[in-house]
Amino acid sequence: MRSRVLLVFAFAIIVAVPATVGAQFGHPMKGQWSGEWGPKNSPNRILLNLDWDGKEITGTINPGPNGATVKSVVFDYTNPVAWGVKITAEGKDSSGKPVAISVDGKLENLGAYTKLFHGTWTQGGQKGEFVVTRN
Amino acid sequence: MGATAAVVFASSVWVFGQEQAPGQAGQEGGAPAAAGRGGGRGRGRQAGPALPTPRLADGTVNFGRVPGEKGVWAVPYITNMGMQLVGDDGQPLPAIAQARQAAAAARGAGGGGRAAGGGGGGGRGGSKSEPWMPWMPWSAAMYDYNSKNESKYDPEGYCLPPGGPRMMATPYQMEIIQMPEHNRIVMIFEGATHIWREIYMDGRKFPEGDLLNPTYLGYSIGRWEGKDTLVVENTGFNENTWLDYFGHPHTDKMSVTERWTRPSKQTLHYQATINDPGAYTKPFTVAWDVPWRDGGELPEYICQENNRYLNRLEDDLGQPIFGPRPQPGVKPSGGTR
Repeated sequence: MRSRVLLVFAFAIIVAVPATVGAQFGHPMKGQWSGEWGPKNSPNRILLNLDWDGKEITGTINPGPNGATVKSVVFDYTNPVAWGVKITAEGKDSSGKPVAISVDGKLENLGAYTKLFHGTWTQGGQKGEFVVTRN
Repeated sequence: MGATAAVVFASSVWVFGQEQAPGQAGQEGGAPAAAGRGGGRGRGRQAGPALPTPRLADGTVNFGRVPGEKGVWAVPYITNMGMQLVGDDGQPLPAIAQARQAAAAARGAGGGGRAAGGGGGGGRGGSKSEPWMPWMPWSAAMYDYNSKNESKYDPEGYCLPPGGPRMMATPYQMEIIQMPEHNRIVMIFEGATHIWREIYMDGRKFPEGDLLNPTYLGYSIGRWEGKDTLVVENTGFNENTWLDYFGHPHTDKMSVTERWTRPSKQTLHYQATINDPGAYTKPFTVAWDVPWRDGGELPEYICQENNRYLNRLEDDLGQPIFGPRPQPGVKPSGGTR
């Protein structure tokens, strides 16, 4: 029993240490985020790849041939522990037609490793809730 | 109580005994000598007149021990780098001097004296209390967040290295070992995760592109300015550190120019110009003195040992920091939606 407890403890350490080492304390929006938006029974996967160049957040939503380029990111710092974030981006649908993406959310857990960004995702004619966490 | 305070003070007390209240040490210690405040936390300060600056055979300053003697630098605890800014003349910014006077007056009147952003944990004023800092909106907001939660996420609380100028603001002893025959200088630190810095003195250039691997301490290249001042250029920092305990953020765009002098045997004057176009709208310079502790030697200190702070640390959502990773698309419990 004791060895089992030790094994679990050792595993917890192995899992936890890389998480700590990977902490990032620069601009909290910078980095790679993953999650989903839309209905729970048929969610759409999201990968946000964002960078901070000192003037603005740049990046891509779902990098690849149909990736959407981030056009603007606007912050609202009114709530110090849950920043408002609005992202607009432009991508393509499967037929190659332009699709506008609008994201309106909250950035929380700003100082922790598991940063959280969630809110409303609008893409084309669809709208739904989204949740992404920083990888 | 913030992270670093828990980890740092435990060892600090062990090493130095009861010397000065942490809240006092944070702001008062380490003010530039030009301000007439002396340096450090008051520990190890030499009595008597200033002794001549030790020098190496080539006439440059010896930042280490004189042969046959022992001694170490007693690094002060600078909790708030924002209160250490100096102007071109090396003097504290007038607004900071006024803020210090106001804080001292408030203490004298029985107030906390923390309105200017000084002190330990409580009563911190955030970015508005440091209007001289060249904030960007996000860095001000991040600093406010770190103030509000009293530096709960301080990377030093994880026993990660301080990085950058904070190496010289973390209250443990350090030594500087010059090896001119090898064109290098090594700085070894008791605390700050028992780490060392290497400064290349061989005239090399910074690596470019991917060859400049971002690290906690950055890449350091030094040169002599005359025989009195060691100038060290640093770049290639990662984003895993804060500038100080109070939580001034920085980015990987940061470069730091350090100027090291030893005006007397007993005093090292440290000055660092921080240029981070990712977090601040213009460069700023901080400075303080570090006292020599005659006869001192570096003890072993392992930050990670028995660091219980992390075992009870929870994030803003009430999750343990050392918990399972959330699944993609699943919002951790406790959000404010």
